[in-house]
Amino acid sequence: MTGELVVQQALNGISFGALLFVLAAGLSLIFGMMDVLNLAHGAFYMLGAYLALAIVRATGNFWLALVVVPVALGLLGRVLEPLLLRRIRGLHLQQALLTIGVALVITDLIRIVFGGELRTLPAPAGLDRSVDVLGNPYPVYRLFVIVFAAALAATLSFVYRRTRLGALIRAGVGDAEMLGALGVDTERLFANTYAVGVGLAALAGVVAAPILTLQPGADEEMLILSLVVVVVGGLGTLGGAIAGSLLIGPADSFGKVFLEQFSLALIFAVMALVLLFRPTGLLGRIRIGR
Amino acid sequence: MKRYAAGAALVAAAAALATFPLWSKGWDSSRYATTVLENILILAIFAMSLNLLVGYAGMPSLGHSAFFGAGAYAAGLAGQRLGTENLFVGLAAALVTASLLALVIGYLSVRAAGIFFLMLTLAFDQMVFAYAFKATDVTGGANGLSAIRRPELFGLSFGSPDSLYVLTALAFFLVGALTWAIVRSSYGRALVGLRENERRMRALGYGTLTLRLSVFVLAGALAGVAGAFHAWNQRFVAAQDAGIGLSISGIIMVLLGGAGTLVGPVVGAAAVFLIQRVLDSYIPFAQTVLGLVFVAFVLGARQGIVGVARQALARARS
Repeated sequence: MTGELVVQQALNGISFGALLFVLAAGLSLIFGMMDVLNLAHGAFYMLGAYLALAIVRATGNFWLALVVVPVALGLLGRVLEPLLLRRIRGLHLQQALLTIGVALVITDLIRIVFGGELRTLPAPAGLDRSVDVLGNPYPVYRLFVIVFAAALAATLSFVYRRTRLGALIRAGVGDAEMLGALGVDTERLFANTYAVGVGLAALAGVVAAPILTLQPGADEEMLILSLVVVVVGGLGTLGGAIAGSLLIGPADSFGKVFLEQFSLALIFAVMALVLLFRPTGLLGRIRIGR
Repeated sequence: MKRYAAGAALVAAAAALATFPLWSKGWDSSRYATTVLENILILAIFAMSLNLLVGYAGMPSLGHSAFFGAGAYAAGLAGQRLGTENLFVGLAAALVTASLLALVIGYLSVRAAGIFFLMLTLAFDQMVFAYAFKATDVTGGANGLSAIRRPELFGLSFGSPDSLYVLTALAFFLVGALTWAIVRSSYGRALVGLRENERRMRALGYGTLTLRLSVFVLAGALAGVAGAFHAWNQRFVAAQDAGIGLSISGIIMVLLGGAGTLVGPVVGAAAVFLIQRVLDSYIPFAQTVLGLVFVAFVLGARQGIVGVARQALARARS
């Protein structure tokens, strides 16, 4: 493997990891706050990507999709939470299973509206070029994804640490019941948390649309990769989502080069090792194994 | 006297089900009903095995299709590579492969409980699927494994659809009887104890990790049997047979029918198959229907179809 190829694969891995971070941040937020494993996360991701496709087709404006789609799906999440999840509050396993039903409906509707064939979205104007990285052309859009995710991580980190909302979130992840006893309207907080989490999944879908092929089954693949990211990095913390995605993204891209048939094996080997030796994940507080 | 009558009715119903293709020839000339029933029986074996985990031991696995797929590939490959159609060779290959895979995945995941267990089994299932999808030289990859030979035993061939149906029905009854025996045994009660209060079980001196791993392997092995029959029935195995879609369908079958009951998974398997395959040929949004029905049951009737029926029956009696 030449040096240039290593750099190229590293960039591919980091940009894919950046995408996984956006997705996993939402999953981790919902889980940390509400103890709900959102198994519809992949479906919301896919819905975000297909809606971006529809908006770009209609208006030609990618940036419009980047703003409108996460907001719209966030609102959908804001409605679904009190409608469905709130009714079985506290039954965490049932809540996870419920989201499976939601995912089935969403993916079926996507299939009916958009059909089953492979779709791609061109990179937005201005970012559809390549730049020179160490003497080799590299697509600008992938570099944009890295910058975008880093900016998002910085923003989320600021909100988490410096704002009142962040303090509420940290308190909610720690002990939501106690937060309720202190007079915080946790029902509203949970609904908003779910909305933000779903919005992040949709955002990941929009950002991913120009890089990854859209096809049935992409929802499951991305759901599982984001699960692995939070299991490896640690549940319920932003740092865990960052660490996990920076590990799994490159593991995926290098695995595809070195192992081909077993490309996923590398990722799962990482996960198995982390689980055996660090049951909380690298930076998490919630124990996964015992 | 009443018990004997119920027992006789059950045996008669079982015999009628097992011999279905023989007496339905007149009206089911296209064999559509037979095909549907055979598929349901195979899925019911799969759902019964998953019910041991989900319903009795309280271990919500979302990766059970890994063992179904492993059994299907093993039965198919054993026939092709060893050049034999012996039923026991195919079954043994499916049982051993599925059990070994369950031992490895189980070793890594039974330490986790509840949602975390669900997460890990889901992830490992995806890994098995990805391997099946990409290892073209072993599994046929995306093209699948085709031209699978149907089994025979002591010169008795199960090559025709009707004879294979009878064999499948026998396997269904055997697995059903086995589940019944397991649930009534002290081992089965220990599993329920695991579901109800694992800490107390540990305090009572049970090795709960070993118990969890043992039921995981047992359920995996039985899912492998279902996979083997699926391979013989279709004469084809697709990577999707080890995919997450089937794992999700499986858990829906168990919960929709009634987890922790003997009949529940069978009813659930029939309901899910009728929606996913039969209803699907009439309306384009069958999966949406399945999703909505599942959501409704999770929200309103967690005891499943069997539980709801029992309640209605009790209400009618009083």
